[in-house]
Amino acid sequence: MLKYKKFKRPITSLLGIALFASILPYKAANAEVVVVVNPSNTSTFDKSKIKKIFLGKTKSFENGRAAILLSPTPDSAAREQFNKLVLGKSSNQINAYWSKMIFTGKGIPPQEMKSDSELIEAIAANQDTIGYIDAASVTDAVKVVAKFK
Amino acid sequence: MKILIIVIALCSTVFSSVSFAEVEFSGYGSIIGGKTFGTVDDPLNPGQKRDQILTADFYDVGQYDNDFSLSAESLFALQANVDLGPKLKATAQLVAKGVDDFSPEFDWYYLTYQASSNLTLMAGRRNIPMYYYSEYSEVGYAYPWMRPPSNLYWWQITQFNSLQAMYNFELGDYSNNITVFYGNEKSYGNKEMLYYDKLYGGTATSVDEFWTNITGANWNISGDNFDVRFVYFQNDRDRTTIQQDGSISPYTPFSQKFMGVGGSIDLTPFTILFDYNYVTYDDAVGTRFPTYLISAVYNIDNYQPYIVYSKADHKRTKGPGATNDLEEHNIIGIGVRYNFLPKASFKVQFDKFTDQGNKATGWAYHGDSDTLTLGVDFIF
Repeated sequence: MLKYKKFKRPITSLLGIALFASILPYKAANAEVVVVVNPSNTSTFDKSKIKKIFLGKTKSFENGRAAILLSPTPDSAAREQFNKLVLGKSSNQINAYWSKMIFTGKGIPPQEMKSDSELIEAIAANQDTIGYIDAASVTDAVKVVAKFK
Repeated sequence: MKILIIVIALCSTVFSSVSFAEVEFSGYGSIIGGKTFGTVDDPLNPGQKRDQILTADFYDVGQYDNDFSLSAESLFALQANVDLGPKLKATAQLVAKGVDDFSPEFDWYYLTYQASSNLTLMAGRRNIPMYYYSEYSEVGYAYPWMRPPSNLYWWQITQFNSLQAMYNFELGDYSNNITVFYGNEKSYGNKEMLYYDKLYGGTATSVDEFWTNITGANWNISGDNFDVRFVYFQNDRDRTTIQQDGSISPYTPFSQKFMGVGGSIDLTPFTILFDYNYVTYDDAVGTRFPTYLISAVYNIDNYQPYIVYSKADHKRTKGPGATNDLEEHNIIGIGVRYNFLPKASFKVQFDKFTDQGNKATGWAYHGDSDTLTLGVDFIF
């Protein structure tokens, strides 16, 4: 987690932090990201449907059951890739979107999993879950319903 | 001793029940500093000069003058979510603001009941969904600017104790949300109204502001590249101005209607943001407040340079006193948001406030100002 305490320093040092952050190299994000559900989920998915589900606008699957959203770790390439390719936004824009939903009580962002394997385990264990991960991490325990690259 | 035992018993009951519930903490904050540059002829005291003043937060009277200040807009908020059952949860937000010397207050507390996957019921204290940004106007991280233009977000009431029903549905390719709400707000010791009383030479000890039967709806439609929200509500208004001798100034209650349309359009790499609102009073003089904002944001990597223009006007449309020469002002804001961390952004903004109000009648009470603000918004 971020330690926000350090940002309560005098404003002048914020410029220093900002400048420092700006020279950090950008993460290469070109991995294939796949959307996975529980093998028992027979709903059909396309990009538009997935986008609505992961923005909390569509709240349930075709079978009428409420969708439980899972996402990989914030620093994963899959996260950045999914935000860009499926949601069409930068990770910061997505964070801004969810902050408005969280603090007005209008939506709950996807639950962050600690690793791809934990995400797969959670999806295999619950028929109402949906998540996305790096294609390389997929196992037989989950069903792939869309691929984005 | 008996009391102590009861307290301990109560505490253990509370803590044991909390241990079953799942509590989640999150929050947001802003550390913002700024100042105005130069002086103006004091609009209410002709012949005298005073610092330029920008009111950045009308409700809490958070203002900048020539002395650099960190207290006008800085705030810290902690939100707790408690799952009381599979469909019921309680939410509270403890907000500490620089304008209140960072003494924390519970600004939001409400229950949420998930009646079905598409229907949500809420009961409790929340912001009134007036302008497009009203419900999250204090979550700086959620929008590109330093603040939603303060000359529109100028009301002395921003919250209410309410009942709300939110319904989500799909219409073609568009996601819809309709929220209906009803609530009341009795603001005893209203800070903004007491400020105005003093500004115009009054010596009232307290002003109580009442907005009751706040009844209305929001309709939000969003597609791939846009998000639009319509709003309508109406409410009754009353005010008690208590003078030093205990007497109450005469006041004629009236009702108001608030309507508007606002939203955003994604024209990658640009985002266009807009909000138009129209407020009418059914008072004797037919008061009207047309207001709007329009903004363009350029999204380039982690930078979001932007420009925002906002305009507020005040008219009287009935009777012999019908006039447009009342309060009127605009702000041009230019700035940049830099997302230097996934959950923190740095912003710097310059605002040029032009007071176009009528000087002779005292409606040009803001005065022009040039203001520079900079700071960090974060979420956790």
